[in-house]
Amino acid sequence: MSGSDPVIEVVGLTKSYGRFPALRGLDLQVERGQVHGFLGPNGAGKSTTIRVLLGLLKADGGTVRMLGQDPWSDVVALHRRLAYVPGDVSLWPGMTGGEAIDLLGSMRGGLDETRRTDLVERFELDPTKRGRQYSKGNRQKVAIVAALASDVELLILDEPTSGLDPLMEAVFQEVISEAGQRGATVLLSSHIMAEVETLADRLSIIREGRIVQTGTLKELRGDVRTTVRAVLERAPAIDELSSLHDVHLDGDRLTATVESTRIGEAMTLLTGYGLVSLTVEPPSLESLFLRLYEDEQASAPTGTTTSGETGTAP
Amino acid sequence: MSTTATAHHPAHAQPRGGHLTGTAPLLRTSLRHDGRLLAPWIAIATLLSASSVLVYPWVFPTQQSREGLAAAVGSNPALGLIFGPAYDLSTADGFNAWRALALGGFLSALGAIFAVIRATRAQEDSGQAELLASGVLGRGSRLLTGAAMALIGSLVLGVVAALVTVLCGGGWEATLLLGATFTATGWMFTGVAAVTAQLGADARTASSMAVGTLGVLFVLRGFAYSVDAPGWTSWVNPLSWMTETRPASGNTWWPLSLAVVLTLVLLAVAFTLQARRDFGQGTITPGPGPARGKDTTAWRLAVRLNRGPLVTWALASLMLGVVFGYLATSITDIFGADPAVQQILAAGATSPDELTSAFVVTILSLVGIIAAVPGVQIMLKVRSEETVDRVEPILATAVSRTRYYARHVLLALGASSLYVLVAGAVIGWLAGTADIGVGVGDVLRQAVATVPAVWTVVAVSVAVVGARPAVALVAWVGVLVSFLLTLLGPTFGLDDWVLGISPFWHVPDVSAADVDLTGLGWISLVTVGFLLVGFVGFRRRDLAR
Ligand SMILES: Nc1ncnc2c1ncn2[C@@H]1O[C@H](COP(=O)(O)OP(=O)(O)OP(=O)(O)O)[C@@H](O)[C@H]1O
Ligand SMILES: [Mg+2]
Repeated sequence: MSGSDPVIEVVGLTKSYGRFPALRGLDLQVERGQVHGFLGPNGAGKSTTIRVLLGLLKADGGTVRMLGQDPWSDVVALHRRLAYVPGDVSLWPGMTGGEAIDLLGSMRGGLDETRRTDLVERFELDPTKRGRQYSKGNRQKVAIVAALASDVELLILDEPTSGLDPLMEAVFQEVISEAGQRGATVLLSSHIMAEVETLADRLSIIREGRIVQTGTLKELRGDVRTTVRAVLERAPAIDELSSLHDVHLDGDRLTATVESTRIGEAMTLLTGYGLVSLTVEPPSLESLFLRLYEDEQASAPTGTTTSGETGTAP
Repeated sequence: MSTTATAHHPAHAQPRGGHLTGTAPLLRTSLRHDGRLLAPWIAIATLLSASSVLVYPWVFPTQQSREGLAAAVGSNPALGLIFGPAYDLSTADGFNAWRALALGGFLSALGAIFAVIRATRAQEDSGQAELLASGVLGRGSRLLTGAAMALIGSLVLGVVAALVTVLCGGGWEATLLLGATFTATGWMFTGVAAVTAQLGADARTASSMAVGTLGVLFVLRGFAYSVDAPGWTSWVNPLSWMTETRPASGNTWWPLSLAVVLTLVLLAVAFTLQARRDFGQGTITPGPGPARGKDTTAWRLAVRLNRGPLVTWALASLMLGVVFGYLATSITDIFGADPAVQQILAAGATSPDELTSAFVVTILSLVGIIAAVPGVQIMLKVRSEETVDRVEPILATAVSRTRYYARHVLLALGASSLYVLVAGAVIGWLAGTADIGVGVGDVLRQAVATVPAVWTVVAVSVAVVGARPAVALVAWVGVLVSFLLTLLGPTFGLDDWVLGISPFWHVPDVSAADVDLTGLGWISLVTVGFLLVGFVGFRRRDLAR
């Protein structure tokens, strides 16, 4: 399902800070119109990748193309077509939020007046405060409004909602969906799983400077089993439940996992024992993410409890 | 955590939490981490003082050469403006007192100001102080720590400078008194900075206010002594108290006690103000601003970012113009009053006109060096904006690195030139009103000839910030070298190739019969070289985060 119209195309990207290799051969592909989730633990290299994409850092190796152009040499042409929200916004102390929005917008080549007004209103932003007087979340809103008020093809968002309250988080998700409907491509780095789950069409997961998983949410979930919890009228014998995995029976209480494709089959099986109550839990992104860590950190000294929702023990 | 701790040791717990709790450990940590930042100031002041006594017998071995020095100093009032009066240049200690007292105190004061601001406002701006303030720390502890750092630093500066100078051959009493004036000046400006740290809304404003106070008092002192102002003017300017101690020509110690009293008063004021203001805010809080912005280009942003300093420096250059211009009007009297100058004039070694035009060249070089300071500051602002992540969003828009940098470079060069011309115009206007044979046109032409040298000095900072931002302080090298060579070089009889390192040495006297502009051509080539290095560097390097 590749290659139709990649907006971001990164192959074998490497970047070191001094002698520390932050990116070690990163491949990333984002198609036009996609909202692409970019996930990974702290220090994995998300911000570094984004800063290379923006031409703020010079790549050591590999190729990077954005909108068919080179982010290092075609800066100006490229940046007219994209907008960026950093995760840690620092505003000019004496400048008001409104002024900062206009400054960034016009430097990008103009902003859409009606959308600007609309966004300021929806995010309940007071544009007359000065840089230092904003709270963290409000600083973040200034950057979001500045980026989204321009009509651009590509949005690059590095933990854009860090510090937003749940209400504003909802507004943000709405606004990004609208951008997606307009046909904008979005690269969204985030630690908020719910946000990524709602917004992202595809995900890439980065660890220690490499992409370790990429695909649609469905694809990534594919090999993670759904958890089934049931209370039954009659306790079954373990060997009668061969289509379930990780079966745990405690009297009439059953906990097990099942492949996403075989849920119907499992239901039929369990109905035979008389269902008193039933919960079916699809694998959350959270559990997926934790499992990916677990796999990679198998050798690392543990102290973490990942006795997660799925209860898998492969 | 702390609640359980108090519960366990109710007897030891301080009931109300001391105002200054936690100062001792904070001071220890600060000294360990930031103490080394005081070292350069100590080193330069020590070098300044020790080198005087080392060099004096070599450069001025005979009575005759010492008289020559006195004549040279007397014939150039611009020197007096910086160094203050020369009471006795016939001994190494007297020479040292003339050469080092004003500048050493200036350095000590600058070091103290930056130490105080760093430990107070700069920390608040960066959020570091918030971490500290949430710990077990009294309200006044950070201010006290900052002040203590500066007081200790100034003390060490005075003691080290004095001891090293004595080891190099300085006389005990005069040298100790000189070192004491360094310390006392550092102390007074510890107080000044502690107060401005409470008034300004951020670190930059606070340090500008303190450095501005220092600059104004410094120039006024030099001015007062150069034009032989009435005696009371010495007693209203704290810097003049230091001059009045007269190391090596009187050794008066008691004016130092005035400095101690002033320091205590200023610190008391600072603590009172500090108790009243909110964390992270100044005493003056700005109201709401415009909802829409008009600054929409890289150029306007550059101007906006530097608006405060641009205005301040415009006023400063007007003031410089007035001070220097006034000095120029009284130049004939000054020459007339100086016996050494009368001697060389009588000997026909030079003419009053020559002395006057040499004087004009020197003061415009001085104006040029001073006007380069805001230029360097503008370039350093590029770096400081970068390190606080504010350049990143700008460069993520359609503004290219070259354009962003070019606007700041243009502003730096333009502002510096403008200040030279403004000061030159004022000097020229004042000089024209007096009958000294110099008109507005002459001074302005000389000012224009000085501008390329200013550009070279600013270009050094363009190269440093563009290509080697990690050592941003090196951006000041141009200013420092030009200052030392232009002011001290001639009296030291240094070789031409050494003096030629300063771009101002290449500025021709445009009132001369045939003006040689090749020197300006060479330094402009150097300027272009520095600019290229800066631009290529800024385009190629990674942006700090
Ligand atoms: N300026 C720098 N100098 C040295 N090392 C750096 C620098 N910036 C980042 N690193 C290192 O590079 C690695 C990747 O950092 P990066 O900021 O890209 O992580 P991230 O994925 O964005 O993390 P987070 O989720 O915490 O934002 C980290 O190990 C970090 O310590
Ligand atoms: Mg990051």
